[in-house]
Amino acid sequence: MLIVAPLAITWVAAAALALLDGRRRWVGWLAAAALAAATVSLAVLTVTVVDGDEVEQVVAGGWPAGVGIVLRADALGVVFALLSLVVVLFALVHEVVAGVRTRGFPALMLFMATGLTGLFLTGDVFNFYVFFELAMISGYVLSAYGGETRHYGAAFIFAVVNLLGSFVFLIAVAAIYHVTGTLEMAVVGERMTEVDPSAAIMIAVGIFVAFGVKLGLFPFHFWLPAVYVGASPAVAAVLSGALANIGAYGLLRFGGELLSQELALGATVLIVIGSASVVYGAVQALSRRDAGEVLAYSAIGQAGYVLIALGVGGPVGYAAAVVYAIVNSLNKALLFLAAPLRGWLVGAAFVVGAFSVAGLPPTGGFLGKLELFRAGIDAGSVALVGLLFVGGALSFVYMFQIYQYRYWRNERLSDPSPALLRAVALTLAAVVVVLGVWPEPLLLAGREAAQNLGAGQ
Amino acid sequence: MSDSSVTVLTQMTARLLLAPILVISVAVLVNGYASVGDGFSAGVIASLGLLLQYVSFGRERSDRLLRLRLVPAAAFAGLLGALAVALVPLLRGEPILTHWPPPGSDAIYVGSLELITAVAFDVTVYVLVVGCVVGFARAIARAGEGVAR
Repeated sequence: MLIVAPLAITWVAAAALALLDGRRRWVGWLAAAALAAATVSLAVLTVTVVDGDEVEQVVAGGWPAGVGIVLRADALGVVFALLSLVVVLFALVHEVVAGVRTRGFPALMLFMATGLTGLFLTGDVFNFYVFFELAMISGYVLSAYGGETRHYGAAFIFAVVNLLGSFVFLIAVAAIYHVTGTLEMAVVGERMTEVDPSAAIMIAVGIFVAFGVKLGLFPFHFWLPAVYVGASPAVAAVLSGALANIGAYGLLRFGGELLSQELALGATVLIVIGSASVVYGAVQALSRRDAGEVLAYSAIGQAGYVLIALGVGGPVGYAAAVVYAIVNSLNKALLFLAAPLRGWLVGAAFVVGAFSVAGLPPTGGFLGKLELFRAGIDAGSVALVGLLFVGGALSFVYMFQIYQYRYWRNERLSDPSPALLRAVALTLAAVVVVLGVWPEPLLLAGREAAQNLGAGQ
Repeated sequence: MSDSSVTVLTQMTARLLLAPILVISVAVLVNGYASVGDGFSAGVIASLGLLLQYVSFGRERSDRLLRLRLVPAAAFAGLLGALAVALVPLLRGEPILTHWPPPGSDAIYVGSLELITAVAFDVTVYVLVVGCVVGFARAIARAGEGVAR
């Protein structure tokens, strides 16, 4: 029953709070409390699943499996669900402290949390799509949050491009059902090995394009800078730290588990596209001066690393992809929340994020880069290791360029932000540091999550 | 906002059609399970009937005559109701969405209507769909009025 708890809490709270005025302080805190409760229950579930090495499963309605809809919690799913809820929780608390400006905001954040939890904890391809749309639609509305023209511009671009991505995904889902006759992920994975290769490759390409758009990978990145720069900080943190997880998770789940043969076949393409993403993102970020733009281009580059790890494959590569996705999402949330703040210790929070993006100890980013290097060495490619090093060095340069611009030049020109806001950013920075200093949980999560991937290769 | 393109004939037809449409939607709602029909399609039929009123009479008049102002809020009530039907079995230690009475046992009949929790679920879906569509219609109508001014 533990698996239903986070979903039920966020969903009921979202529907109930939608009727209340979210601009009132207590409504915002109520939403944060509900989300915190859901996060705690999900953390308990994560510990049971990852530690106990088991898969929790519930079939709705008590029907036999194959008839009823399956909710399934394996290590990969719970790790991503927990990560996303933590990011949404931080962003929600940030915005409640700063003062919510529209009445629907807390409810929308909870609806997004529902969608994210649901899609990470479902064992059914179509249900994945339904929860995915729930999260995306909340994202469309949230990206307009703020009410100024630039917010609406961001929302428009975001909605149009991602609707196209969703549409491509839906076609791929229909194709999966057509060739395998089932929507249950476990069965799809088995039957996919017997499918006509030409059809399977088409499906794999469709899925790759759909999640590439979500993640903002190089050839599909064009929407991302405009949206992340236009959206307000808490929303940008959620979009890049929580919603983009769908892309990484989708590539891992569909590529690594359901279409593992096709993934192995396209490994070189993935590594090339990933490398292009890394270089393009880093070079573009280097040439920008605005923190939002640098972070947006950095997000494109960081997504490339996940793709490279996925292309390398094998237990080491998949584990690296999971660890890097976790670290990257926390980095982005931290940086987007910390960048607009001013005052004592805010610079420190930003530096933690910058260190983490560049992959320096003692932050979590170091582990992400370490795992990537291991994957590169595992693949036996000098070029790959060289690229990882250059990418890391470039990210160090662009992050500290921004640090200088924001914190050394204009430090005394503006008033400090409220202490509580800074405390939120610092707590998130502390999480990133703790992950780096005490690496066991992160590495264990990566290993366990990667365990079931690539079985068909 | 009664503009000249909507004639009395349209308004008369819309008014005459409303009651039959609502009756048919309820019929589709309770007709489900063994034959064609369920909460979603019934909700769509009912909301089409209400949309017709908005198109022919305008937002303000339809809201006043049919008291539709609170219908969008009902969407959330419908969602909460649906979640309640889904989650109550958890309290009895069963998986979500387990229906009662269980398959094979006798249900309570009212006329030819079987009272099972699946019907309750469909009723909440019906309310949810109608609430959503009316909410969208009113939001779009309001935006249109802003443009017209």
